Amino acid sequence: MKIAMIAAAALAVAGLGTFYAATRQNQQATQGQTSDRTVSISATACEPNEITVPGGRRSFEIVNNSDRPIEWEILNGVLVVAERENIAPGFRVTLAAQLQPGEYQMTCGLLSNPRGTLTVTASDEAAAEASEVTLRKFLGPLSEYRVYLILQGKAALTAAEALQGAIASGNLDEARAAWIAARLPYRRIEPLAYRISDIENNIDPRAAYLEGREADPAFIGYHRIEYGLFDQNSLDGLAPVADRLVADLTLLQDRLKAMPLDPALLASLPGDMATQIAEGQIPQGENAYARNDLYELEASLDGIGKLTDLLRGVLAPVDPALEQEIGKDLDDLRAQLAGLKGPEGYPPYDQVSDAQKTALTEGLTRLSAALGRMQPLIGMN
Amino acid sequence: MVGNFLRSSALAIVLASGTAGGAFAADPSLDLVAPLAEYKIYVAENTAKLVEDTKAFTDAVKAGDVEKAKSLFAPTRTSYEKIEPIAELFSDLDVSMDARADDYEKAEEDPAFTGFHRIEYGLWEKNSTEGLAEYADRLMSDVTTLNQRITDLTFPPEVVVGGAAVLMEEVAATKISGEEDRYSRTDLWDFDANFAGAQKIYELLRPLIAENEAEFVTKVDGNFKDVADVLGKYRTPEGGFVSYEELSDADRNVLSTKVNTLAEDLSTLRGKLGLG
Repeated sequence: MKIAMIAAAALAVAGLGTFYAATRQNQQATQGQTSDRTVSISATACEPNEITVPGGRRSFEIVNNSDRPIEWEILNGVLVVAERENIAPGFRVTLAAQLQPGEYQMTCGLLSNPRGTLTVTASDEAAAEASEVTLRKFLGPLSEYRVYLILQGKAALTAAEALQGAIASGNLDEARAAWIAARLPYRRIEPLAYRISDIENNIDPRAAYLEGREADPAFIGYHRIEYGLFDQNSLDGLAPVADRLVADLTLLQDRLKAMPLDPALLASLPGDMATQIAEGQIPQGENAYARNDLYELEASLDGIGKLTDLLRGVLAPVDPALEQEIGKDLDDLRAQLAGLKGPEGYPPYDQVSDAQKTALTEGLTRLSAALGRMQPLIGMN
Repeated sequence: MVGNFLRSSALAIVLASGTAGGAFAADPSLDLVAPLAEYKIYVAENTAKLVEDTKAFTDAVKAGDVEKAKSLFAPTRTSYEKIEPIAELFSDLDVSMDARADDYEKAEEDPAFTGFHRIEYGLWEKNSTEGLAEYADRLMSDVTTLNQRITDLTFPPEVVVGGAAVLMEEVAATKISGEEDRYSRTDLWDFDANFAGAQKIYELLRPLIAENEAEFVTKVDGNFKDVADVLGKYRTPEGGFVSYEELSDADRNVLSTKVNTLAEDLSTLRGKLGLG
């Protein structure tokens, strides 16, 4: 039965050989097809030991001329780009790989044998493959951002529980330190978290936006605790607010997990956050009582930077100049913020000059504008 | 060896015919995002555990406590063996931490032979920790580097999805012979962790294909269960495994057959999920 099936499959293969050649078969065995290059492995080296091929989908025929089973790999730094394992002595196998221009290494039998060099040159085929934006190229970045949301969301919850504990124990100084620490993971995931508006209104409302200001019953969450700790210098009435915050952050974690991520959403997040900080938080200040805004700005830049770095990976082959520009804008902002940090840390926000605030706003606006130009380039049809 | 070669030829044909039959999804789906993220968290938890366990293991080596070091060798390795499906993302560390003596020209005497198996060689063959401190330090440094790198690394989806089959192929091709832990004979610990690591990937992806590939998932589920049943026979009351030498020929054959089938079946996952 099995033999009959394989035989039938083999016939199908024979009849449709040209079709298969055009079919995408990354790194799979392709016996019987013509390969671009043949590499023989002796007991001590690859022959030839230096190969140059044009970029694109290339196939290699590997011949094991040594007397032990070997594996053959193409390495890009520490990453294995393609490999065939367990090639028996005397056998030949074919390996195909999608190669972008650059310098690669080939393993040649024993680990103690010298490695060969594979040089991949620029080609129209490679350029076309690199500049095509597909959903597949977003899967890695989207997954990585989801990991970030889960881990930072968990950290935000853990830190809020520590704050809850400090408030319950009645120690004001400990509670203040715990509050400052608790804000950081939240600010890192704020680019997506702030869009979940029902929860956001319970976690992060500011008194300035509420009719009754600090006395408004809707004034709860982080800033209500901040008001008690840093303005009233008291823990009075904060315990139930902290309990509620922990419950809301638990809810937020579930909602973030359930939120479907897609390329267009991912591409919009860092620029939107940068704009919001530039236009609102920098001129007005965010933490009216604790004045620790610059610490939080650093955490916000972590979150924006994580997103931006993930997107730069997709953008780089499409528009390398813009990718570089975005990288530079982000570096400049970080340097600018670092310049405000003294030996004692960041100054309270009311001691930051208008000129310094304007410079931060300009830096964030520049980054946001560059990210805005990126969006149509990596949007998929 | 010939058997393996024939197997991979047949595999290539099966794969190619799958493409012709239109059984493969043309494009990957956003449904992959959640399982890929889940998998990275699994890996990160394992590398964190590896750092913790390796500290205790290398401390015992450096303290000259041969018995304690021996007792920690196999359990320490399990969190590394669980993440082996994606070892090609850190090939330099994999070589430094987990290469075998026969990957080197001078075998055990080769100065480049380092890592777990170099320490294993000293502990069991020489029954001593003499000269092992430098290997212990390097191993600790390697696992720390690995843990940090995993944090910063975006996992390529095709490496994750393909990783389950790649590891099963390696088990089938080499590990089943008992070459991995040849001095300590703790191979069954590694097998168990390898299967757990490959199965983790499969379980995370399973909901994406279960509906359209009912026959396939039934078969793969069955093979993982058969492997677990065989390994279960060799578990010790303490939660570990008996020596590889106690594995019966019959059970070795069952494992060998099952792992070959798993390797073939799992190698179709990439195609089924549009990552061919």
